[in-house]
Amino acid sequence: MIETLLKELSLAVIDGKQNESISLTNKLFEAGLPAKDILDKGLLPGMEVVGVRFRDNIIFVPQVLISARAMKTSLAILEPLLSKSDAKGVGTIVIGTVKGDVHDIGKNIVAMMLRSSGFTVIDLGIDTKVEKFMETVKKENADIVGMSALLTTTMGYMKVVIDKLKDEGFDVKTMVGGAPISKSFADQIGADGYAKNASDAVKLAKDLISIKA
Amino acid sequence: MTSKERVKEAMALNTADRVPLMCQLSLGHYFLFSNVNPLDIWYSSDDFAEALLRMRDRYSFDGILINLPGREPNYQKLIKNIDKKDDEAVISWKGGGYTVFPKDDNPHYYQEDGSRYFPSFDEIDPDKLFYVEPWDITDIKYPYSWGFEKEPRPSDDFFPDYHFDTIKKVIEAAGNKFSIHSEVFSPWSQFLELLNYEFALMAILDDPVKAKACLERLTEGAIDLAKKQAALGVDAVLISSAFAGAGLISRDHYKEFVLPYEKMIVQEVQKEFNIPVYTHTCGSIGDRLDLMMETGANGIDTLDPPPLGTVDLEEAKKQLQGKVFIKGNIDPVNTLLNGTKDIISKDVLWRIEVGKPNGGYILSSACSVAPYTPQENIELLSHLVEQYGGY
Repeated sequence: MIETLLKELSLAVIDGKQNESISLTNKLFEAGLPAKDILDKGLLPGMEVVGVRFRDNIIFVPQVLISARAMKTSLAILEPLLSKSDAKGVGTIVIGTVKGDVHDIGKNIVAMMLRSSGFTVIDLGIDTKVEKFMETVKKENADIVGMSALLTTTMGYMKVVIDKLKDEGFDVKTMVGGAPISKSFADQIGADGYAKNASDAVKLAKDLISIKA
Repeated sequence: MTSKERVKEAMALNTADRVPLMCQLSLGHYFLFSNVNPLDIWYSSDDFAEALLRMRDRYSFDGILINLPGREPNYQKLIKNIDKKDDEAVISWKGGGYTVFPKDDNPHYYQEDGSRYFPSFDEIDPDKLFYVEPWDITDIKYPYSWGFEKEPRPSDDFFPDYHFDTIKKVIEAAGNKFSIHSEVFSPWSQFLELLNYEFALMAILDDPVKAKACLERLTEGAIDLAKKQAALGVDAVLISSAFAGAGLISRDHYKEFVLPYEKMIVQEVQKEFNIPVYTHTCGSIGDRLDLMMETGANGIDTLDPPPLGTVDLEEAKKQLQGKVFIKGNIDPVNTLLNGTKDIISKDVLWRIEVGKPNGGYILSSACSVAPYTPQENIELLSHLVEQYGGY
């Protein structure tokens, strides 16, 4: 029965069925399954499928968004029940759209995909100044800073953040992305990595965590 | 042959004396390089017209795209105070809220609590929609009203007279020589701007019937605006549909939520006016050029090449030749902004070579020319097209 419910939960996430996802999460919890197992065996496998389908252009942003919404509502039920070590996941990423830029859809999808891959994501939103990045990295003991920019006018600010983090001696990796960003630009500003899309961002984050460890 | 005639021939799929040149500049580029005060460019119809005319002269473009609405005259009277900093100005308004105005990019309006307003999908009544202007001075409102006006205007008198002031000014100054294009936002773009992208993208799955009812109403507004612009004598109307590419939605969703509404705009304008209507979508559109043609549009703009988009100009030319005109394909970031003179020359000459045969091509940056693009890089375009673009 538990196995069936977990499969149904994965499917509810894949199909973006928020109410079903909530109901199945509650049922599994009532059946005595630990929150960590509901996350690892129900929600995350569902989002993994979503990530693969998105990468392969089988589904597009609207479907990813409703899947992430379903996952997020179930996660809200589970989070108070997860132990601190469970909640920490594979690493902590502070992510934001850089100062002067209010475009966040790409950044939000990356954040969702990272969360769905077990990362703890602290999303600073849009128009994020260097001080906010530094303050949050310190507070959360983050492993990675992820920065996004859509505008050619704001992409240069990524270097400001990277330089400051280095100057202040932060032990944190940096990754960048966004429509006008390229690998060569990332190299030029001293970022530790560049991701072309959300799937690549997850892979890159995992690589950076393993390097850091 | 005048610039106006040259662009007209290209839009009619004919050859002219040479390939025309017409790029869309980002507003930030006008702020940085036109020597017109950026606040005046954004908030004054006359000054924006002046900036458009100056930069056309500077770069020898054959046409001008007017990509901001006209503004209420004397905007200064609405301002409480301006706090000028190094890289931005913060404008506090007598009517409430404030605008953060970067020196090099489009400003945004914030409510007094520092947030940007967007209605929820639940609270939207499609019947209360007509047109959403994302670049109004107070950004998004619902129900929609202009600037600090308290009440929405009725749909039969929705667009204030001043909305058309920039178009009138540019046509008066240069309409006999250059091709003057106006812009309307596609219903899809309006819908995304209204709900702040993510919520709009989820809305089409949550309640497609209501989403379509919204799009239908927004189409009415776009048609009304496009016809009013056409009646003033613009040479073409551009439908700005930035977010309809494969970076966001599938072909199926394009067919369902974009195509029918843009088609209505094209049809309705063409019923009354003998001018081209063309569509502008950013990013990855290589998989949907056929669908964009199905809108009935006379031309397709941007055609972002890899890595920004997915359009191979050679393939696009084969597919679109003799059916719609093509405008764009020069990479605005990797070529125009960051490229050397050699790279720009090579990229541009290749596009002239591919786009030129049998006409129907307007040489242009794909998406807008980025704010900090060196002026000499843009000037190079006219030299190249003069030298190599002739028929």
